[in-house]
This record gives sequence, C-alpha cells and structure tokens, in this order.
Amino acid sequence: MFKLLGAFCIVAGCSYLGLRIASIYRKRTELFRFLQNGLTLLETEINYTSTPLPLALERVGQKMHKDCQPLFIRAATVLQEKKGVTAAEAWAAGVRALGGEVPLTKEETELLYVFGHGLGGSAKEEQVKNIALTRKQLSLVEKVAEEEQVKNQKLWQYLGFSLGAVIVLILI
Amino acid sequence: MAKVFINKEKNNECLSGMETSPLTISSLTWFQALSPQLQELVSEGLQPFVGEIEEIRLRVKRPVLFRVGTKEMTVTAQKKFTLQLEQGYVITKEDLEKTVQILSQNSLYAWEDEFKNGYLTIPGGHRIGFVGRGVLEQGYLKTLKDLSGINYRIGRQILGCADDVLPYLVKREQIDHTLIISPPQCGKTTLLRDLVRQISTGIPELLFPGVNVGLVDERSEIAGMYQGEPQFQIGLRTDVLDACPKAQGMMMLIRSMSPGVIATDEIGKNEDVEALYHALQAGVKVITTVHGSSFEEIKARPNLQALINWRFFEKIIVLSRRKGVGTLEMILDGKNLEKLR
Repeated sequence: MFKLLGAFCIVAGCSYLGLRIASIYRKRTELFRFLQNGLTLLETEINYTSTPLPLALERVGQKMHKDCQPLFIRAATVLQEKKGVTAAEAWAAGVRALGGEVPLTKEETELLYVFGHGLGGSAKEEQVKNIALTRKQLSLVEKVAEEEQVKNQKLWQYLGFSLGAVIVLILI
Repeated sequence: MAKVFINKEKNNECLSGMETSPLTISSLTWFQALSPQLQELVSEGLQPFVGEIEEIRLRVKRPVLFRVGTKEMTVTAQKKFTLQLEQGYVITKEDLEKTVQILSQNSLYAWEDEFKNGYLTIPGGHRIGFVGRGVLEQGYLKTLKDLSGINYRIGRQILGCADDVLPYLVKREQIDHTLIISPPQCGKTTLLRDLVRQISTGIPELLFPGVNVGLVDERSEIAGMYQGEPQFQIGLRTDVLDACPKAQGMMMLIRSMSPGVIATDEIGKNEDVEALYHALQAGVKVITTVHGSSFEEIKARPNLQALINWRFFEKIIVLSRRKGVGTLEMILDGKNLEKLR
C-alpha cells in the first residue's frame, strides 16, 4: 500500500516538474509578445499624449498581463519614489523584477537594458525610433522562443512523467 | 501715497492650502524640483528666507545665486549662506543635468514645446526658465541643448493685494478697461492675478457680483496651469486659455466663452492691439499689463501710443519697487489723464 502511494507521489511530482518546465517555454513566448504590446502602448503614451514617464509606465503596467506587469510597475515606482534616479536605472530595476518572474537569457536582459538607456532622454521622434527598434528585436526573440517552445514543451511534458515512471520501476 | 503689498498677507504658495504656514522648506514644490545635492546644501540655511525668496539661479561653472527681496546671496559648500558671492557653491554640468532630469521627470519628450519656449511651469505655479544652445530646424528654433543656465522663479499669490486698486476700477456693476504699467519684478502678475480672482468671484464690499473672466495666460504665469489645473486661486468664474498666443486667445475666448472681462499679461505686439479693438467691439472689458517704468515711456511706444491716444484704457495703474515689491505709484484716469491717486 505504502509502495503504491510512494510510486504515485514520485510519478505525480516528476510530472508536475515536467509540466512546470514546459510552461516556462510557453510563458517566455507569451512574455515577448506582451512586451511588444506594452511598448506599443508606451509609444502611444509618449507620442500622442506626451505623458511623463512615471505616469506613462504606470498606465502601461496596469493594462498589461500580470507576467509582464512587474517590469513597468517596478520602473514606475522607482521613478516616482527615488529622487535623482535616471530612467535607465529605473527601467533596469524593472528588468530585474521581470527576471525574477520569468527566466530571461543574458542577451534578452541586455536587449531590455539597452532600451532603457534611450528611454525618456530625447525628443519624441527618437523615442519612437527606440521603441520601434526594440519591438523589432523582441519579435525576433519571440520567434526563437516560439521555436524552443515547439521543440521542448511536449518533450518536457512527457519527460516528467516518463522520468517518474522510470524511477518507480527502478525502485520497485 | 505708496502702498506696498508684500507683507499684506501670508504668502499662499498653493491652491487649497496644501502648504500652510509655517512653511517648511521640504514641503515646497520648487524645493522638491531642485537636485538632491542642492536640496541638501540649502535645506537648513534657506528656511528663514522661505517666504521671501524670489529667484534661484543655477549657471554652469558659477556660484548658485538666491535673490531674496533686493539682496542676492549664495550658499557655500559648507551649507553657509553668505553675501560674498564668489564663495558660493559652483554649479557643475552634472548639477544642471540632474536638475533637468528631475524637472522633466526623466521625460524630455513630454516638454518639447516648453524647452522650445525656454521655460516650464511646475506644480505650485512656479516658472523655471532655461538657456543653452539652440538647435535649429529650417531656420526655426527646435529645442535647446547643452543647457548652461536655469532660473527658478518662485510664484507667489498674495490674496487681497488688489484691494486698494479695485475701488478705482469698479463702478456699479462695470469694470474699466485697465492697463497696469510696471517694470519686471514689481508684482504686476501678482496684482493681475488677484484682480482676476476678485472680479471673477465678486466683491461684496463694492457690491460687485462677479463676472465671467477669460484669462489668456500665454506664459502660464497668471494661473500657473500644471497639467490642466490652476495652481493659484483665480476665481469662480475664470476660464483659462493656457499657453495660447494673446491675440488669438482673446478672439477665441470672445467667441467661445462669452466673458465679461478678458485679462492678459504683457501686451505690446501689433496683433495684440488689434485683438483689443475686437474686444471693445464685443463689449468685453480688458485688463492687461505692460513692461515699462512710467506712463511717459509707454506713451512713446508706437503700438501702445495709438491705444493711449485713442483713450482705450479707462484706468492706468503704475507700479514700482520703490518701497518694496508692488509699490503702487499712481492710478491715472485714462480719459483725461488725471491722477486719481
């Protein structure tokens, strides 16, 4: 009886782990899609309504999916609360908060940091260009993430269960 | 008989009594708009002058200057205030950059027009002016770069400063066309602001019920509009056209808001004079100001000469700084140029 229960626990645990890893691939693809949407919203705030950055980031954050929210909300909070902080520093804090939610590669983090350096410090035209460029790069990143998702999502879903089953077989 | 209105009432820094007396420096919006380093330097030493400070000037590679009344002082790196200006803390390029970052909330794009005009208004209605190197596009100024100087002009509201003037301008339920002549820094905007407030709300002592006032605030100084909200008390019936060219704004207001009185600051251009004629035809009364130190000086200016000769203004008020900001030099009857006070 205990053996059966143990076996069930092992298989369930490993399957869950597999599903979690598989869901990260899906989340990453979604994140890069949401980020592009977020940048489009930010572009509207900057280009059409000339909203100052702290408020613009907050408004975008409120409209975003919860996976993507930490980036905008954290950056807005840092800008509102800390006097003398630069937009790049606040954005970097946002990127770190985002990294805590969804794993990002070094290149992806770097891409977001670079975007932050151009944030706020120039005329609308330049801001729009910076946003367009980053959006383009994010769409490429999204494609790569999507390919990885197709390749790995199913694999991890099955792998978790199979690994659990193998462990049980070995133990029995 | 001269009247000085600087100490008449406690300075009301902001609408709705957000900053009530005693004023603590850290609660003031202009103080919060300084860079953290400057805030630290001045926070203690400036407190005694907080009600009287008029200007703070930051010029690159030169000492920071504070104008308090007619005196200019500076602060040393050891946080001591002194009249020995050469001992003052020297402003660096980084100080200016940090200040601009704070003023623009890290969003230069949001203030493009303000930078083009060389100034912006911050909460509290204070005006910050800039100089730097112009960036031109097709011969026109597009923006400023390499900023080399920033000037904080602390806006003040003195409620009731128009009390002595109003009895001369109000007759029955009518207001006279009025011209305020004053050199810079003598309180003409402050006087105009209080005139607008009282005329708009009504003056029970003079049995004046209050009329709709259209305020064309080309330089955002009178109402101190910040993101669509007036930062000073401007009265119950006042409509503000903010950052709008005067002549165009006056015509627009006459068409759109049917004001009884139009108030505007610093007329002088040809088209301003033309807009005044239109106001007259529409039966709208005009209160306006002009830079100048005496009535004679104004009479000599070609554009204004026509208005004076035509006896457009019914009352002419001359201000000076002889006995402090807002010294009321004289009030003239515009029709017969008789001195009323």
